[in-house]
Amino acid sequence: MTLLTTPKDIAETAARDAVERQLTSGKADTAGFAFRLLLLLALAMSVVVLGVLVVDVTTNSWGVVTNRGWDFVTSKLASQPGQAGVVQGLVGTFWIGAFVIAIAFPMGVAAAIYLEEYAQRGRFTNLIDLSIRNLAGVPSVVYGILGLTIFVKLLQPLTGPDANGRTLVSAGLTLAILVLPIVIITSTEALRAVPSGLREAGFGVGATRWEVVRHHVLPYAAPGILTGTILALARALGEAAPLILVGATTGYLSRGDDFLDLTALRERFAAMPTLIANWASQPGAEWESNTSAAILVLLVVVLLANTAAILLRNRFESKRR
Amino acid sequence: MPLRSTHWMAVTLALALLATACGAPDASDSTQLRGSVVVSGSSTVEPISVAVTEKFDAGAGHQVSLAVDGPGTGDGFELFCGGQVAINDASSKIKPEQIAACEENGVELIELWIGNDGLTLLTSESNDHISCLTLADVYVLIGPESQGVDNWSDAQDLAVELGSDTTFPDAPLAVTGPGEESGTFVSFVELVIEDFNEDRDVDATTRPDYQSSADDNVIIQGVQGSDTSLGWVGFAFARGAEGVKILEVDGGDGCVRPTDETVADRSYPISRPLYIYVNAAMADENPALDAYVDLYLDDTGISSVREVGYVPLADEDLAATRSRWHERIVGPA
Repeated sequence: MTLLTTPKDIAETAARDAVERQLTSGKADTAGFAFRLLLLLALAMSVVVLGVLVVDVTTNSWGVVTNRGWDFVTSKLASQPGQAGVVQGLVGTFWIGAFVIAIAFPMGVAAAIYLEEYAQRGRFTNLIDLSIRNLAGVPSVVYGILGLTIFVKLLQPLTGPDANGRTLVSAGLTLAILVLPIVIITSTEALRAVPSGLREAGFGVGATRWEVVRHHVLPYAAPGILTGTILALARALGEAAPLILVGATTGYLSRGDDFLDLTALRERFAAMPTLIANWASQPGAEWESNTSAAILVLLVVVLLANTAAILLRNRFESKRR
Repeated sequence: MPLRSTHWMAVTLALALLATACGAPDASDSTQLRGSVVVSGSSTVEPISVAVTEKFDAGAGHQVSLAVDGPGTGDGFELFCGGQVAINDASSKIKPEQIAACEENGVELIELWIGNDGLTLLTSESNDHISCLTLADVYVLIGPESQGVDNWSDAQDLAVELGSDTTFPDAPLAVTGPGEESGTFVSFVELVIEDFNEDRDVDATTRPDYQSSADDNVIIQGVQGSDTSLGWVGFAFARGAEGVKILEVDGGDGCVRPTDETVADRSYPISRPLYIYVNAAMADENPALDAYVDLYLDDTGISSVREVGYVPLADEDLAATRSRWHERIVGPA
């Protein structure tokens, strides 16, 4: 469908409206028209907000993009705005995403499958359902406190004793837990949307519950589950508040610029959202354009992650047919 | 189909577990300096420490992991006294309760004075009425007794009572400054309010009804926002600010404009010292920390104070700081 209206579209719409008018015996459908206008307005507002954000960020960061280009992406944190770059933030955000994918997704989807396919519906499962929905609405800073208490302090020997637990492992686990309820809820909804006839047909030909879930329910629900996980991943990549509590470094960091250095997971780290928040409070126009450029980088990262997930979803969708 | 997705999930999970389970030691020359140095504390001092750390890191041939952060002097002392960071940056001297917290955990500290910062009072550049304020003026305009004062002239009576002869304009007063959590707020209270509050029998704080922000840019915007505004920020921030007028301050010996010289010799009345606090036990055990502080205080390192916009110590003060460090003199000065 296209947003642009061509003369042909107008002619078609007019013809359709004429038929509609005849069918509704000449009544003018003002309410319907107003509703359609309202919907269009809502869409336009969202698009305008997004457009303004992208244009604003791009124009503000243009100096950095043209003068520094790739250098900005590969440079480390620094005191001089002309030398500061985002590589450590990118590494941190990359690994946080990896933790979310590796922990929150399988765990969340598994929990949802159990709740929908295996558990007996009853007062207890309803209570669990309600709790999960509530957890999804808890402010992210509360998860930050949780992460600080459990991963940074309690589990410090595991998460990184040399860095007092203020490590990528702690941050990744905290954000994985933060998005877990979202993954469970969206996966549950996707499983609920699977027609019950599909399951019954499976059972009817003698399939076990495992076979039904594995071969029929999951493939059917996969696109819906992936849509939920896209939202969850994007949320995790953009969260700053929990990372501030877990202790993301914003001033200077000597290491943390190597994507594949696994020892760095248990060391101090930086992340894009906290880096952006910190740069935004620095004085001077140069830091301002650095901030915009960092936002642009984060937007691109989120866009790439979403694109990958959408491609994956489309593959599942085409398989379903 | 789903088999493949479970495949890569398993691989990623395994990778993550592997990473958390074992930290592979990096093979390198054993004579190289290794270990880690973590600096936390004041966001005011943070730029100095970042600049020094960059210089340390630029010196090749070491394996030291470095991290600098700036959550605030108070938060930093909490980490420092808990033995979690080796160095705490501070924009005000350590407080008795912070010393107590350190002692409780057996943390001994070395106090090193590394530079100075001035607090700068600002008004809008279109304010022709005021160019110099006495400390009493600042107290009656921003101190706790000024609550509800929204016109300069409303504070006139109290200013006269406190011995000021400044004539305030009959113009609206809009005050902007850093929030309570900021070291700049604490310094303001200590440098201005505490000269008056005990005699006046009020708490050592500011008026509650002013526009506060943790972001110096926002404060400067607030000061630009009205013709007869009043605000305060750190000296380094004020110097680069546009659209604002820097006020002179009279501490009893005439009006003094905040400049590098007047802040360094402390003739400008509202200036403050900047410190780093080093964990004494860690300094003995950790050669990396030892080398780091050595660099901080030598000519290369200490020149960062000026480079990031603060005021360097006078020569004799710097010499005193260096000898405190080399003789490892423990405790606050």
